[in-house]
Amino acid sequence: MKKRRAIFYQCGICIFVISVIGILINNLTINLIRTDLGFNFSWLFKPASFALAEHPLPYSSSDSYAWALFIGWLNSLKVIISALLLATFLGTLVGFARTGKNSLLGLISAGYITIIRQTPLLLQLMFWYFIGFLGLKENIFIHIKNIFKISNQGIEFYGLTLSSEFSALLFGLGVFTSAYIAEVIRGGILSVPRGQWEAFRSLGLSEQKGLFSIIIPQALPAIIPGLTSQYLNLAKNSTLAIAVGYSDIYAINDTIINQTGRAIECFIILLTSFLLLNLLISNSMEIINKIIIKSRKYN
Amino acid sequence: MFNINSIMIFIQKLRNIFFSNILNTIFSLVIILLISLAFLNTFEWIIFDANWKVVTSNLPLYAFGSFPSNEQWRPATWIISLLLLSIITLFGPEWKWLRQNLLLTWISTIPLGLYLLYGGFGLSPIMSRHWGGLTLTILLTTCSSLFSLPFGIILALCRQSSLPLIRKLSSIYIDVMRAIPLIAVLFFGQLLIPLFLPVGIEIDRVWRSILAFTLFVSAYIAEDIRGGLQAIPNTQIEAANSLGLNQYQIIQFILIPQALRIALPALTNQSIGLFQNTSLMAILGLVELLGVGRSILANPEFIGQYIEVYVWLACVYWLVCTIMAVLGRHLEHRMTMNQANF
Repeated sequence: MKKRRAIFYQCGICIFVISVIGILINNLTINLIRTDLGFNFSWLFKPASFALAEHPLPYSSSDSYAWALFIGWLNSLKVIISALLLATFLGTLVGFARTGKNSLLGLISAGYITIIRQTPLLLQLMFWYFIGFLGLKENIFIHIKNIFKISNQGIEFYGLTLSSEFSALLFGLGVFTSAYIAEVIRGGILSVPRGQWEAFRSLGLSEQKGLFSIIIPQALPAIIPGLTSQYLNLAKNSTLAIAVGYSDIYAINDTIINQTGRAIECFIILLTSFLLLNLLISNSMEIINKIIIKSRKYN
Repeated sequence: MFNINSIMIFIQKLRNIFFSNILNTIFSLVIILLISLAFLNTFEWIIFDANWKVVTSNLPLYAFGSFPSNEQWRPATWIISLLLLSIITLFGPEWKWLRQNLLLTWISTIPLGLYLLYGGFGLSPIMSRHWGGLTLTILLTTCSSLFSLPFGIILALCRQSSLPLIRKLSSIYIDVMRAIPLIAVLFFGQLLIPLFLPVGIEIDRVWRSILAFTLFVSAYIAEDIRGGLQAIPNTQIEAANSLGLNQYQIIQFILIPQALRIALPALTNQSIGLFQNTSLMAILGLVELLGVGRSILANPEFIGQYIEVYVWLACVYWLVCTIMAVLGRHLEHRMTMNQANF
């Protein structure tokens, strides 16, 4: 009796969902026929005819849309990975300062965290771009011979040039995510029982040695899942690149929609590329997690 | 009353914390120096260097956008009533009828706001493209959170359901929504919602974005509430079963109240995040708070005054976020203090 009712419910839901999707698709086809667009992907191999300021691989405006999208995906990957490293570095510093003994440092890092977390990321990105980099006008902020240079052209370091769009995005995303990572790390350190601290002190280990060989290994399993979700958030937030004019995967999709009007196809492409990015990040974090668990076992 | 002894102990404590050894002393002094330098510079900039005319002469624009100036009392009434309600919630007297009807009052502010903004029934009607500024930001936040809460609860319950098909469908929806960036959802919401609607029916820009926000946020809320549902011990459901409650009664009286209470801190964070994320509409063509800032910066009279505008906007966002966080914490406190009075 109960089983029959369950099957009945599921059939009902199934019919409901299918009919809703059917109505939506029906409307969509009517609208697509009306606007004379249709649904196909053959436009991907036509020349894109727009220029990209930044391309890690050779690109010219006569290349295909597909290649432009791939370049955009690489650009996204580039900014995500570098912002991820910066955010982890800053976040770790702030997280340790927040939990450390020095309450002045704790106060500063608490202020940093509240200010960063209570203002929108988009505002921060614009702040970094329009004030941090474009605001430098012609005068150069730091210029140490040919080694290091910050100007409105971006950052130059030993011939490695980062454009101002890229640097603004890097710092904006890095600083924003670092505030969240700091909280994750603080939570992880606080999850280690106080007795562990007292134990290594009573064994005569120094603070640094105890922190790195006793506390952090135990805090890591609590930190890694939080870090993964912050990294995924960072990847999603990197699409705000469009606000500072960096050509990431979303900005290129946006340009293509403006040129060709193919919103549905571009939506599918964006979804798949984000699926790939998410899989990349979560799988590599999974590998790191496994390595950590393994290293704990054999110690 | 000040006590010499307690002050001495306090100073002793300070000395122990900051100046326990030479390295620590140097470190503390350097930090204090840096903080005071930063504060001095900021104060100097705020008082002498900054040109606050870009903020002071545009205050109505920040608050109401391009709302017709002789009708601006309407959004002003709404914002002030929201503020008053926050103050009553936080510091108001402990009258029982007030406390019991507070939730209803909060929900009723949304129809009130919509009525005041749209007009009709005695007020002159105003199109949604004239809405803007902080009013629009708050409207987007309140409407989307109100709509996404029930939707999120339903999704969370479906994900915990014993029927495999329902569980699968809702988990697909939640996972896909959580994998896409918000700006993509909003952008394609603006583009695709008209395509999916029957010919002749149109939704304006504001409602399209509220719909997109609702679809997006409900997936996140569903995950938070699922966490709350999983934290409820199974014995509660067994107890309810043995009392003879049916499934809907269990959901209504046992599961949802407790799951909401457990998920409350996360839900507060979601609504603060939602409030911040409404700023994304600035690059998608709505003139909300950040959009007003951008349009003012495009005005030749105020060109290049980025710092003043952005610092001002950051302060407004920070203030509203803090109010929301304080309200959330207050609610949390009341709930744990008085669990029966949910």
